[in-house]
Amino acid sequence: MSILKQLDAVKDTIPHYWPIGSFIHHNPLKGFEQMPFKEGLKAAQSVFGGQVYMDSAYFMARYREGKIDDTVFENNIRELLDKCALDIPLELAKRFLMDVSPQWNALRTKYAYKHEKIDYGLYLHLQQKTHYYNEARWLEHLVSHMTLYEINDALFGYGDKERVERQVIEFITRFLDEDQTTMQMPNRELGMFETFKIYAGLERSIDAESFVEEALNRLKVPNSQAYLLTHLLKLHGWAGFIKYRSEDPDYYAQQQYPSTLIDYMAIRLYYELEAVSTRRISDFERFETYAAAKPSHAIMQILKQKNKLMGPALDALEAGEKTETILCNYIENAINLDALQIQHSNDVLQSDLPLIELADILGKLKEEEGYLWLKSLEDSYILSFADEFAQASDTETVTADASATFCLDVRSEVIRRHIEHRGHYTTYGAGGFLGLPVAFVEFDKAHELFLAPAIVKPHNVVFEIPVESSDEYRSKKKVTKTTKKVLSDLKNNPYTPFITVEAIGWLFGINLFGKTFLPQKTQRLFSKMKPQKPKTTYTIDKLSDEKIENYVKKLHTKIIAKLLISTAGREFSDAQIESVRRHLLFGEPNSVALSEAVLNKLKSTYQITPEDYAYQKEKLGQVGFTLEEKVFYLNNYLTMIGQTDHFPEFVTIIGHGSVSDNNPFESALDCGACGGNISLPNARALCMIANQSEVRDALKKAHDITIADTTVFIPGLHITTTDEIKFYDTDLLDDDARKRFERIQLDFNAASAQARMERAQALPYTKTHHDIVTKSMDWSEPRPEWGLAKNMGAFAGPRSSVRHMKLDNRLFLHSYDWKIDNDNADILTRIFNGPLVVGEWINLEHYFSTVDNHIYGAGSKVYHNVVGKVGVFNGNYSDLKIGLPTQSVELEGEAYHEPVRLLTFMEAPLQKVLKAVENSIAKPFILNEWIRPVVIDREAGKIYSFEHGEFIVIKEI
Amino acid sequence: MIASIVLTLLAGGVPYYLLLERSGKFDSKTILLFSAFLLLCAVALTSVVPMRYEGLFATIALGSSLFSIYRAAKTTNFYKLGYHLIFINAPFFILFESFSAMYSLSLLVALLGLFIVARFYEQNYGSANYHHITGIMLATPYMGTFLTFYLITLSLYPPFPNALYFLSYMFKSTPDPLWYAVVIVVFFGNFYLAMRVMTETVFGKPNPNIHYVLMSVREKMTHAAVFALLFILGIYGVKEALL
Repeated sequence: MSILKQLDAVKDTIPHYWPIGSFIHHNPLKGFEQMPFKEGLKAAQSVFGGQVYMDSAYFMARYREGKIDDTVFENNIRELLDKCALDIPLELAKRFLMDVSPQWNALRTKYAYKHEKIDYGLYLHLQQKTHYYNEARWLEHLVSHMTLYEINDALFGYGDKERVERQVIEFITRFLDEDQTTMQMPNRELGMFETFKIYAGLERSIDAESFVEEALNRLKVPNSQAYLLTHLLKLHGWAGFIKYRSEDPDYYAQQQYPSTLIDYMAIRLYYELEAVSTRRISDFERFETYAAAKPSHAIMQILKQKNKLMGPALDALEAGEKTETILCNYIENAINLDALQIQHSNDVLQSDLPLIELADILGKLKEEEGYLWLKSLEDSYILSFADEFAQASDTETVTADASATFCLDVRSEVIRRHIEHRGHYTTYGAGGFLGLPVAFVEFDKAHELFLAPAIVKPHNVVFEIPVESSDEYRSKKKVTKTTKKVLSDLKNNPYTPFITVEAIGWLFGINLFGKTFLPQKTQRLFSKMKPQKPKTTYTIDKLSDEKIENYVKKLHTKIIAKLLISTAGREFSDAQIESVRRHLLFGEPNSVALSEAVLNKLKSTYQITPEDYAYQKEKLGQVGFTLEEKVFYLNNYLTMIGQTDHFPEFVTIIGHGSVSDNNPFESALDCGACGGNISLPNARALCMIANQSEVRDALKKAHDITIADTTVFIPGLHITTTDEIKFYDTDLLDDDARKRFERIQLDFNAASAQARMERAQALPYTKTHHDIVTKSMDWSEPRPEWGLAKNMGAFAGPRSSVRHMKLDNRLFLHSYDWKIDNDNADILTRIFNGPLVVGEWINLEHYFSTVDNHIYGAGSKVYHNVVGKVGVFNGNYSDLKIGLPTQSVELEGEAYHEPVRLLTFMEAPLQKVLKAVENSIAKPFILNEWIRPVVIDREAGKIYSFEHGEFIVIKEI
Repeated sequence: MIASIVLTLLAGGVPYYLLLERSGKFDSKTILLFSAFLLLCAVALTSVVPMRYEGLFATIALGSSLFSIYRAAKTTNFYKLGYHLIFINAPFFILFESFSAMYSLSLLVALLGLFIVARFYEQNYGSANYHHITGIMLATPYMGTFLTFYLITLSLYPPFPNALYFLSYMFKSTPDPLWYAVVIVVFFGNFYLAMRVMTETVFGKPNPNIHYVLMSVREKMTHAAVFALLFILGIYGVKEALL
């Protein structure tokens, strides 16, 4: 198998990393989703190490709080005992899980250094089971994820790892930089490895793949595929980012400065070869020879490097005792401790079972307990929710004063509840992109934002354009931009920061002290200085062919004219410029005498080529929507949430975003279904589409959905940090309608205040709604909102089924009416393909960042530094931190987020759900139980839970 | 001359721990206690016998200090580190004559704190070796905090007493080449070793292979008492530096 194929085979072990500017929540173990959850976690643990479940002490605390139901827990234990054929009383297993397991490690070492009698039979039994006596196998296991320089470090204490990783990080951070530094690495357009060859003075002819192959040969690597994985795991954050870039053809930085995993691998191996070439062990064959000659020394040193040697063995090594003796003592001590652990456990359990049998049973229980506890916690929640769902009553269908659609995001639940309590309002939930994927170009910005889930690529471009004069905005913007540029250059230039601080550093003190002591007033002051965007609208209609032709012509004419004037120093007539343009694009004769150099410059530098002409036309052809597309998206949206009749006068569609200060993870708090961006543009675009009379006519004709002429769609934005709602495009209302809508706005404002108050009572460190508002603008606040922490489930069904439930911002709520879905369950499939995938990513990102923040999370924000504008690392240099910071999931060292799989409740007949599962891209993770699907089938009067590959009835309604 | 030889020996100016180690009869804990006791005797002796500057002994002690830095960098055992630190600081004691008593006293108090930590490790983790006891600031924050105090004191960071005495003696004495050598070796030797311990055991990720033991109230009180002693010495040190 070629090196590239070998790399392809292992690359999915590491997760994608999206740049922090549009943070995408994702499952860090996505590469394991083809396996059942439990097996996947076991496999991941063997690769990444660390924890995959919370420890038993955590679950015991939940048990004491009453969150884990005793009956559920006992049933799960019974099931486990049956499955594992463990013939022991339930009580014994339960006592082990509750009394012994939380102190399992303590029981092993508690009396370790006092002389206790070891049961000889137990000792012999454990001795037989241990793998310690097969030194070759043990050593192979120990070095399975180690590079050769790490092995050298462990054996001889060289310290090369630090140097190699630093060199790798130094190069790739400079190469992958996205305009954070003012002194950029030259030649990056050549690609990562090509640039590296210049940087390191390597021979120019060799390509990355050949270099990797040659390096692996020189290192005499026995299993190159496994070794490539070993290298990927060393800095899996950076590797994940390079992998993401290389697989996204639309990523602008990748188009400019290409990089691939094979480039990255070549760079790593270059530094490894450099490090080991002068070391005692310069290839794996030498290591094998060394290990065969001195197995005990090799084992002891590697154990020491992995922190597996205890104090006495370390002292003996330091004292220069024979490693054979130390190893023997180590093994004896380890088995003694294992035996003591069983004996101490039995002291607590007081079991009559022989110790040998008990050892095997406890070993099995210990292996299974993480999943057992997790499932018990989830099952308890599922049953409790099932009881509440059963109490739902059908509400009478009447036309409301207004409806409000929010993102399904968990943070909408509280405000939706309060809006409904304020008056005659109905609320809906939908994926924040509203089923309308758009590439959005914001006013005054040049780049596209993909406002859709990361797995969906938008095909329609929407521009935001001003509808009133933007002169004032532009002039203020120019001043701000220039000031920022000057400050940034002064700050980032290696020679100027010192003098800058001395000269103008005090100016920043105003902002610093203001934000610290008077955050709200300071924010108001500075917001007045910021340029205010003029009123805007969106380009939602398609451009005609003539218009497209005109725009492309204008663009090219302008460029040609500018270059010709600058090179010739004189004006050219329109006809002459047109002649040059037609010559370059269509190969027609050129009437203007121009040098080849000028023509080449226009072709190569300014891209006036037939290819670019076609590309520009194609791009402009993507602007806006055709009538069919508009009807398609509007119908999709309305049927997806089940709003197909009884339209109120005001249909509000409310996107969401978050506001915080000094927070590199800000986009993690925006809309996940919009690729970590604010979802207002989707709401505005959809409302504009829905307000067009030709769209309504076509909708009625094609789908029999009637929207009255009096109904107006109004977009809004929900700031999730403060629960404020702001509406847009209200100027299309007439005076009477505006007055009526103002009353509705008052109700929504009151609901906002109530929601803030409810959250203030629930969140740590907040008491009043004032605290909530202050958090959003406090530069020192590590948790501007708790965002999506504590998310635990999703519900797809009618609002009437959950309206009576207080869900504390913990469930993603997607409106869905199975009655209007077809037999193929197309609507539910769409919900699975978009919102459910996003929900699962968010949920599992939180899950793994909580269970082991060192491996799957980003660590503490306190040590973070933004690097290359793509992510954060710890201190001066480190791996790119994936996942969420501790402050997003922990409170005072304890888990704040409650890590459970997404409890996914779907209200629909079972057959429909099965059909949707079958058709959906989410099928693997649904069937492999990376979420917990629950079906509420009101037709059949049953609630089903998906367990062990089938839906089983857990409650009759 | 004889007094100088005796004081050089007592203060750890020659690495006699090599003999004790080689004999095999003394464990590292005993060597630490013995060396600390001799240094205490030296401190007491300086109040009875007036010291005189002996360049030769200071040079010998400097050699011993350099050697001890090398040895200390090879160990991850707190007891061994403790007695190596006594020998590393010996040239300071000898060179700065009458000024050195308070410095040595605060060194001994900081080492007392380190000794209590070492004994805690020995009782709960089987040895005073700290190589595998990583990330204690996260796993056992009280222990992490106390150990950080001791290590910062030993690394001659102000405002802890060792640093204050060190600085005040530097200001009050007249430099010569030997003075420079001693100041540089003692300062960087202490700093390097203390920081090395901090990176290895105080910070980082806790080791999942061991069970971390929390300190009892009594143990916390003991450390608080040592800290109070350091605090008092610190106040005295500020006075010394200001006068």
